[in-house]
Order: sequence, then C-alpha cells, then structure tokens
Amino acid sequence: MSVAYAPIVRALGSETALVLVALAVLTLDFIIGRKREVAKRRELVGAVALFGLALSAVPLVGQVGMTNVLLPGETLVVNPLVIIFKFVLIVLTAVTVLISIDHDIGTHVGEYFAMLLFGAIGMLLLVGTEEFLTIFVALELTSISLYVLTAFHKNSLRSQEAALKYFLFGAIATAFLLFGLSYIYGLTGATNLRDIGAALAKKGTDPLLGVGLLCVLVGLGFKVAMVPFHLWAPDAYEGAPTPVTAFIATGSKVASFFVLVKVLMVAFAGAVGSAYWGAFESGWAMVLGLTATASMVLGNCAAIVQRNVKRLLAYSSIAHAGYILVGLVAASSTGATAVLFYVIVYAITNLGAFGVVAALASRAGGDDLEHFNGMAKRAPFLSLLMLVFVLSLAGIPPLGGFFGKFYLFAAAVECDAEMFGLLWLVALGIVMSAVSLYYYLVLMKHMYVLPAKDETRIATPGHLKMALAFCAAGVVLLGVFPEPILALLKALVVRL
Amino acid sequence: MDVCGVSNFNVFPCVNDPYLTQYLFVAVFVLVAVLFPLVPLALVRVLAPRKPSPTKNATYECGLVSKGDSWIQFRAGYYLYALVYVIFAVETIFLYPWAVAFGGLSFGAFVAMMVFVLLLVEGLVYAWAKGALDWK
Amino acid sequence: MSVPLGYYLILGGVLFAIGLCGALTRKNAIAVLMSIEIMFNAAILNFVVFWYYLHNGALTGQMFALFAIAVAAAESAVGLALVISVYRHYKSVDVNEMRSLKG
Repeated sequence: MSVAYAPIVRALGSETALVLVALAVLTLDFIIGRKREVAKRRELVGAVALFGLALSAVPLVGQVGMTNVLLPGETLVVNPLVIIFKFVLIVLTAVTVLISIDHDIGTHVGEYFAMLLFGAIGMLLLVGTEEFLTIFVALELTSISLYVLTAFHKNSLRSQEAALKYFLFGAIATAFLLFGLSYIYGLTGATNLRDIGAALAKKGTDPLLGVGLLCVLVGLGFKVAMVPFHLWAPDAYEGAPTPVTAFIATGSKVASFFVLVKVLMVAFAGAVGSAYWGAFESGWAMVLGLTATASMVLGNCAAIVQRNVKRLLAYSSIAHAGYILVGLVAASSTGATAVLFYVIVYAITNLGAFGVVAALASRAGGDDLEHFNGMAKRAPFLSLLMLVFVLSLAGIPPLGGFFGKFYLFAAAVECDAEMFGLLWLVALGIVMSAVSLYYYLVLMKHMYVLPAKDETRIATPGHLKMALAFCAAGVVLLGVFPEPILALLKALVVRL
Repeated sequence: MDVCGVSNFNVFPCVNDPYLTQYLFVAVFVLVAVLFPLVPLALVRVLAPRKPSPTKNATYECGLVSKGDSWIQFRAGYYLYALVYVIFAVETIFLYPWAVAFGGLSFGAFVAMMVFVLLLVEGLVYAWAKGALDWK
Repeated sequence: MSVPLGYYLILGGVLFAIGLCGALTRKNAIAVLMSIEIMFNAAILNFVVFWYYLHNGALTGQMFALFAIAVAAAESAVGLALVISVYRHYKSVDVNEMRSLKG
C-alpha cells in the first residue's frame, strides 16, 4: 500500500510546528536558561512558545476551504469545523501561556511550556480525526501532559496529591475507554466513526456492543467531568497550578466535547435511545440524560458550600458539563450546534475566570473566598472582568453564557415538538441555573462588598490584563452578536 | 453455564460444545491440584497440638534472626533508570513491524520511521543532558 | 481444534474485572497502578483475539494493540514518577492517607 505523504504533512502543519517549537523551548531553556532568574526565563521561554502558537495558526489559514479525508479510514480529517476548533484551541493555549508567564511555576520553566505545547498538540489531533485509534492516542497525549502539568508545584503537597488522584482516575477511565473500543472494534470490524455507524445501523443493538458503548461513555465522560465520573475534578482543579487548572478546564474540555459530539452523532447514531419523559428507551441519550441530571444537581449544590474559589469553579464546571449534556441528549443537529457554541463560550469564560484567580490569588496570599475580600478596591480592572465572567457563567443576558444556555435548552425543547419530552431536563436546568446564581453572587459579594484586611493595590502586568480583557471581549461579543458564528457552526454541523 | 444466544454475533459457545468435554480432564486435574495441598493442611490444623512461642513465630525458626522491616528501601535514584528503560524498551515495539515489512515499504515509510527514531534519540539526549543517566 | 473466541472474551472480561476490583479496593498506589495495567491488558487481549478470529483481513486490531501497549507504558512511567514524588512528601504510598484536598 502506498501512501501519499505530502497531503498528510500539509494537514499536520500546525501539529508539526508545535512539536518543533516544544523541542526548541526545551533546548532554549536548557542552554541559556541556567544563568538567569526564573521570572526572566518564564518571559523568554513564554515568548518563544507564543511565537510557536502563532506560527502553528498559519497552516490553518492555508487549509481554509479544504474538505479532505486524508488516509484511508479518516485518520486525519480537514474541514472547516475542524479548522475553527483548532483555531479556538490555539487561542486558548496562547492565553494560558500568557497567564503562565506571570505565575510561579517552579524552576522547570522549559519543561512546563513544552508540556503545555504537547498537551495542545494532543488536543489539535483530537479534533482533527474521525478514527478511534487516533482519538485514543491523542486523548492520552493530552491527558499525560496534563497529569505532569498538574504536579508542577514540586514543593506543594497538594499539587502532587492532586496529580496522583487525577492520574489514577484518568488511567482507570482510559482503561474503560480501551476496553469499550475493543468490543466495538470486534463487533463492527471498524475503527473509524463512519464505518462503525454504518455497521451499527445494519446490525442493530447487541448486549456486548452495549457494554462497549457504555465503557466508551465512561472513558469520555471522565474527560468532560460529568457525574459520576467527576471525583477527580475538584481535587485536580484545586491542587494544580492555576494556569494549568485553566488549561484543564478549557482546552481539554473543548477537545473532549468536540470528540464526544462526533462519536455520538456519527458512530453511535444507531443507538440513540431516548430520554423523553415517560418514554425512556435504552441508548446513550438515556444514559446522558441521567448523568446530565446528576451533574447539574450535584455540581450546583456542592458548589454552594465551597470556601475555595478554584474548588467552587470546579463544581461550577461540573454543573456546566451537565448543561452541555442536555444539548447532546437532544440528539439533533440543532443540539450539536448548541453544544459546540456553548463549549466555545464556556471555555473563553472559564479561561478568563481562572486567569483572574491566577493573577490575584498569588498576590492576595491564597485562593480561598476570604482572600478575595475587597478585591474591587485592590484590583478594580480585574474585578470588573471577573464580574463579566461570573455573570456569563450564571447565564445573565446579554453575555455569551446566556445565549449559549438558551440555545442548549431551546434545542432540547424543540427536538420533540409534539410532546416536549425533554421539558423535564430543561426545567431542571433552569432551576439549577437559579441555584448557581447564589454562589456566583457570594463570590461577587466577597470581591465587591466585604472589606479587605489589607487595602494595598495589586499591580498586574499589562500583557495579562490584555489577555483577560480579550477573553471578556469575546464573552460580550458572543453574547451580543451570536448569530454569525452560530450560523457558521450550524451550516457545518449539518454536513458532519 | 449457558450463554448461547446472548449475542447476535455468535461469539459465545454452548455447553454441549465438544470443546468443553475435551477439556474435562483438565478440570479434574485442577481439582486434584487444589485438594492435594489443602487436605494435609487441614489435617494438620485438626490433629497437631498448638503451643506458640516467640522463637517459634520468628520469621526463620532455625536461621539468623531477621532484622528490621521486609519493606526495605532501595536508592531512589535507581527509579530514573527504570522509567527511562520502560519507555525506550516499549517504544521499540513499533520498530518490529517496520523491520519485518521493510522490503515492501516505500521511501516515505523509511523517512517516517527515521523521524520517530529521531524523536526517541532526542528524548535520550534530553535525559542524558539533564543527568538522569549519571551513576551517582 | 483451537480455542473458541468466546473463551478468550470471557478471559478478557474476567481480567478486566480483576483489574477494576484491584484498582478500586487497593490502598497502595503501586498496587492500583498494577491493577490498571491488568485492565489495559484485558483490552489488548480483546483486540488481538478479535483481530485473529473475526477481522484478520486487515491489521487494524494488531495496530491498536501495539499502540495500546506503548501508551500504557508511557502512562505507567508517568504514574510511577507521580507516586515517587508523592512518596517524597508523605513518606507513604497509601492512597487513603492523602487527605490534604477535601471538600
């Protein structure tokens, strides 16, 4: 079998650029880093990483308009939807790098940025494939990079412990994923999503296949932190260095949800089942309907009692995974569009929120709610940005979070126009959004109302402010003008 | 155990499968092998008198007195060699199929594998430069 | 007469179950790691067996097994490194003793 290598190299342009830059970053820090201070090294190496990310966006421009399936079996796919998501992931990584430059990440600066780039490569590969072997390897590349990044506070016990917990849960989930994939491969004879979908449609459901499907859902459900596979999330989010938390909560979520949408809509379309009230049918829609319920309830209720801001945001992100799953349960192209739109909004919002926490917590002495008392006076600009992010997470119009949630719930209502079978899920989602408003406002109370012990101003470097303001602008823009990107996504999803 | 018809794909065998009867004597052997050590142990339990004493309960009743815990520690430095070894030993798994099919492969496949080996070498150089391979 | 496919699948399922039980009940992080490796091996066994019995026209199953072995090795190397760095702080690898993160 002869393979044409030129189109593969072209399709992998961004990934190749990132690999080279990651190796360059390692070498650079090793050769000239030794003699300088850590802060200087972070600036230098971070600048190179940013340059590399900019470089990796260039091949994407060249791919616009391509709709190619490369290599037999859809191992590499290039189409406008993939290009959009690769671009989003590169931007998210770039903002993470900007946050990291200003954050204490220990003395292994080169390794830190190299791992960040390796994780980004995994995410890019993950969105650019429709084949399970590549999905598996890319998912592992991302996860292993994130495990290592979580442990980067070498002297912090919490960081090490968080990494080990994240790793153990993650490895079990990976084993489930692999085991499920082995059944799916065995019973359909295919590993690419389209062929699996076709084989499923022909053969109908089968108990062994059901086991395989469930195992795959466990594996992917872990990556998106849905209840009951969420146990790692609060610990990992709290213990990891905050820029890494931001990366786990956004980049890895975006890539995982993108894959989840593709896997469910393309490969498992024959095993949807139903989560309509009173008409439950076994299938992934039913399973996800139940996990969405559990995620929304547990995430929001557990967030209320948290005293640590990162932990609070962790539970809030579990709740958001629940909202996003509601869109998936609808199992329609409208639902998939809403999911993809919300994932982008959610990622930008959360990246901004964690970025503000990263910038303020190290200078305020900690990341508990008390440390944020009176922040509005100490850091007015960042507090204002935090207000925008938090209101968007709570779903207040006219911010991106509101429209994202609106489209999710609208898709769920509309998918069964006669009986409104998913109304129960939507009603629960709305009630839970109201609950979430409480803990978001508690955070705001600490920042805007309660007095601070120490009133000194907190100075933050300009590039960090710019990056976070960029996120806030994105949140507002997606709220005010959601139509263009929504229409674009909709047109592309239909062709999925 | 009757699992016939559990799957549409007919992957599970049935009980009257000749395959099972053929292996019946293995089952008998397993049974005997389990009983053989268990019966004398049970007999000893029932018949032997029991008078425990510290000397008798020592790890080696008629050997040297053992010192310390059995969970002794090795030098932690060694684990780095182990980790590096695990990675390099397993990554060569990709070289085997490549080597076996070498005759029928295109030049592109050769270049692709060289890139892979280059990445491995880069990892080795990194470990070396960082001092992970120094015997301290 | 060779062993029918179903027996291998039962073996794979039992191995996976053993690994899962170990991973969920063991206190020692290294033992958990070993249990996870057993789970991986169950899946790899499934791939090879399915390839051999049902889909031996293409090499997909073998390739999947090779990649899974390599990925499992990388994962266990990272896992061991994490266990050691936790051990340096706690002087123990007992998962139940790790309680600095709660809530």
